[in-house]
Amino acid sequence: MNLRPLQSNSCRHGGCTLTGALSATTHVRDAVTVVHGPKGCAHHNFSLLHTTGLDNGELILPEIISTGLAETEIIFGGEEALAGVLTSVARQDPAAVFVLTTCIVDTIGDDVQEVCGRDYGVPIIRVPTAGFLGGTFQDGMNRALCAIAATVPSRRADSAASRAMGPCVNIIGEKNLEFEVEENYAEVCRLLDGLDLRVNVRCIRNCTLQDLSRLGMARLNILRDEELRPVGDFLKERFGTPYVISYPAGLEGTIGFLQSVADGCGVPGEGAIDREEEIQREILAGFQDIAGSEILMESSPGSPEALLVAGELVRRLALKPGAGGIRVPLPISPPVGSAGVRRLLHRWRCTIHA
Amino acid sequence: MKQIALYGKGGIGKSTTSANLSAALSARGLDILQIGCDPKRDSTRMLMHGKLIPTVMDLLRNQGEAKISRADIVFTGFNGVRCVEAGGPEPGVGCAGRGIIATFQILQKHGALEGDVIVYDVLGDVVCGGFAMPMREGYAEEIYLVTSGELMSLYAANNICKAIQRLSIRPKSRCRLAGVICNAKGQSREEELVAEFARRVNSEMVQFIPRSRTVQMAELNRKTVIEYEFGSSQADCYRSLAQRVMENTHLTVPTPIEYDELEALAIEFM
Repeated sequence: MNLRPLQSNSCRHGGCTLTGALSATTHVRDAVTVVHGPKGCAHHNFSLLHTTGLDNGELILPEIISTGLAETEIIFGGEEALAGVLTSVARQDPAAVFVLTTCIVDTIGDDVQEVCGRDYGVPIIRVPTAGFLGGTFQDGMNRALCAIAATVPSRRADSAASRAMGPCVNIIGEKNLEFEVEENYAEVCRLLDGLDLRVNVRCIRNCTLQDLSRLGMARLNILRDEELRPVGDFLKERFGTPYVISYPAGLEGTIGFLQSVADGCGVPGEGAIDREEEIQREILAGFQDIAGSEILMESSPGSPEALLVAGELVRRLALKPGAGGIRVPLPISPPVGSAGVRRLLHRWRCTIHA
Repeated sequence: MKQIALYGKGGIGKSTTSANLSAALSARGLDILQIGCDPKRDSTRMLMHGKLIPTVMDLLRNQGEAKISRADIVFTGFNGVRCVEAGGPEPGVGCAGRGIIATFQILQKHGALEGDVIVYDVLGDVVCGGFAMPMREGYAEEIYLVTSGELMSLYAANNICKAIQRLSIRPKSRCRLAGVICNAKGQSREEELVAEFARRVNSEMVQFIPRSRTVQMAELNRKTVIEYEFGSSQADCYRSLAQRVMENTHLTVPTPIEYDELEALAIEFM
């Protein structure tokens, strides 16, 4: 049940558990997601995921099937409709079926757990969502990640199979709906490469259920951001895997990230940090043409973390914020890694020189 | 057209009172429609001589809304009283309140909400917006509370007053409390107690119906009291109620009382 008060800027907070969970489950490419509710709930989420995918250069039709609840099911209960759809979907022999619920299903009290507990011949993974009633977008995403992790065998990073794989990390909770999601991932990979680490599992982005079965074999989990802490805790409890709580944000944040990951994986980090500091000096040297410029940061809709990174860049480039300065854009999320900072500074340069 | 609704605690005798009221009204030569708004579906059973008629919800589920005709849902019982049962889901699943809303939509679609008087017999309490449907705009304007002198029955009646008070604030709402019917359990000073309760909630007791074996005998014979023993004093009570309902112009916004006051009231009349 969601009893949290509405935030003043509600369009930037909250959201729907269903959308959050779907943003994760639809990236398990060999699974199907069943949305138990009216067809509209599936429709608008399908559209959102499809168009966001297109924005990121991916032509993907998410595997979403609705139980299509209408007046009759809402009055008499929707359990039969769910069982019928699960039976039908199971005939397609997917690797797994995720079952997500909408507001109305929790309102009328369908026993979804019981229906999902029946034998359909394929794994059924119930994600407790309940639409807006169940909480926020982030709650839905976190529950989806935990529900999937709960089905993975609890092999640990110190197992023989894991040792054979070499040192690796998991990426947990990528924001599949954000702009530059692949660019951000590429930057994290570059940084990990400097530490001689590789990515074991992207949980969850463009993967299969088989990929996810290796979830417990990494030395460290890298959470996309702070809000995924409950998932980090769950994975730590289940697999014993420690975690760092954020992608690298800004220049100093990137150095700190390298140190945290190196410490978490038990590998030396000094060399990678020295090289990264040199890269960052080169980046700043490349933007000396805008050093000392008078700017006005558009604080909305930036996050507090993005503002911190912007403040760092103001200091490093001796920029002069003021009411009469040139308006420069601030991203919603902080720029990821040194490459993210370079892209942000490039946008600022375009604005300042326009 | 007069539209009235009877609300009250479960088991207090709403269906018996409604059916006998409908029968008494029909005996006055009026065209009556009684709608049972309870998944138990037994509101009209005595008017239909013991027959449980198909419910609107049964038909919705089994054949879909498109195939439902007016003749499928409106049945004629004793003395021409037309009977409808909303029905609903099995206990523990689905949403019975939504079923009531859907029933009203279907009845409206078929133009079935007509007659001189429509009597809505509603499930024990206003448990959600669906069961307040008969009180919404355009439906029942006159609400009668059925209660005995038992504290929990009065408590339920007081809660319904809260719902009427809340709904009466709405700009288009004409829903008002029309009176309190005492369906007695046979406790001492019961009539005085219920009359005082009615006064405290800004209304009045419109009929005292004594406990009577005639009611049980009529039901065992699958009839209303009006049909089973037309000349009985019990039948006189229902006829008196029917007359009062037709002549009643004292419609009020109720003033529900606090539980402590209700409890003190019950103690006062023990």
